[in-house]
Amino acid sequence: MSRRAHSPLRTAPARLLVALALLTLVPGCVTATVQEVREGSTGIRADESIVVLGRKHKTRNETETGFVDCVSRAVAGGRRDFGVMSESDFVDATFPWFEPRTAPLDVEDFSEVIGHPLLSERIREIGVRYLVWIEGTTQRTSETGTVNCTMVSGGIPACFGFLSWENDSSYEASVWDVHQGVNVGRVRSEAVGTSFIPALVVPIPIVARVRQSACNSLSDQLRSFLSDGAEV
Amino acid sequence: MRNPLAAGILTACLVLGGCGGANVLVETTVPTPLVQPLPLTMGVHFDASLTDYVHEEELERHGKFRIELGSTQVPVFERVFDAVFARTEPVTSIEAAGAGVDAIIVPVVEELQFSIPAQTRSDFFEIWIKYKIDIHAPDGELLASWPLPAYGKSNSRNFGFMESSGDMGLNEATVWALRDAAAHFAFYFPQVPEIRALTAKASERSG
Repeated sequence: MSRRAHSPLRTAPARLLVALALLTLVPGCVTATVQEVREGSTGIRADESIVVLGRKHKTRNETETGFVDCVSRAVAGGRRDFGVMSESDFVDATFPWFEPRTAPLDVEDFSEVIGHPLLSERIREIGVRYLVWIEGTTQRTSETGTVNCTMVSGGIPACFGFLSWENDSSYEASVWDVHQGVNVGRVRSEAVGTSFIPALVVPIPIVARVRQSACNSLSDQLRSFLSDGAEV
Repeated sequence: MRNPLAAGILTACLVLGGCGGANVLVETTVPTPLVQPLPLTMGVHFDASLTDYVHEEELERHGKFRIELGSTQVPVFERVFDAVFARTEPVTSIEAAGAGVDAIIVPVVEELQFSIPAQTRSDFFEIWIKYKIDIHAPDGELLASWPLPAYGKSNSRNFGFMESSGDMGLNEATVWALRDAAAHFAFYFPQVPEIRALTAKASERSG
């Protein structure tokens, strides 16, 4: 009589666990939109780079560092048409001109600041052509329902209920041309998504990756905005 | 530890930083500021009140906070002084400078304040450091005291599940405050009237 090997995946609890694990990978639905306003021509050479910067002068609604890093990585990770300098490398290389209290807030300030010989020389050395200023945040806008967890017989934890929440991402990137000292345009990305946690003994989070979606759509649009702007 | 509950709570506190208070040892420096150096030879004195500076405070319902700021200020100020002045010379005391320097500067911490998100209902850990920079003549006479306010904040939303960690939040806020002090000094110290007078005199001397 032949004996079949006993696979751990053939038991009912194991199948349930695998099913639950797969369910947690199911993302919630996200709706993302992106808008572009062009105010000047763009174009970038392979030996030039951009830097993505977060505004840090406000005491409310400061853009998350993770979002700025995400956009920076995503723009760098596409077609290698140009370089992307990290925010920290840029602010260190230009210290103290782009600190939270000293960074130019508008393009008029910027054209004045960039006229400083030491700074303009440093920016020329590091090859930065465009500054991309990001503003905005992701907020939880609504939340409904509850999930209650308790110990049932035998000391096993169990959760029951239904929880859902909506996240709303709204970000805008302003692109400044270092050579011309002008604002060449803006790209705006918005995303909305609802996440759920249904719980019948085991809670199953189905999370909408709203911020990631806003990052992806903003980055894709930024890349084409910078590369396909008619002239260099 | 014999009591597993106590061990669990301690571990949770250590991991999540959620049991209140903070113990912060700040270790940082700043990049060299991009500024034109003044044609001055400046004596620099770091008093023990600066190099040993520790801020301790207990917040009701939030625990004990200790921010050890002292020694990290030395490399920060050294970096910025080296960029702002043509030459710097460390001096052991204000009276010991001698005639080789145009003036002596002494940074002093007058006050430190901080806030945590639970107090302000915001996302930010914030630090305010009120420095004064004493400017002495080579013979030790006090010429001026220049106020140098510094502010730093850190966004707790950047720390993910560690967002309530006072150690992490206050450390980052303090690093930003020290950068702010360095930036403010580099931009505005050359405009202090006594420094402008010394600079004009040094420029005349060099022809």
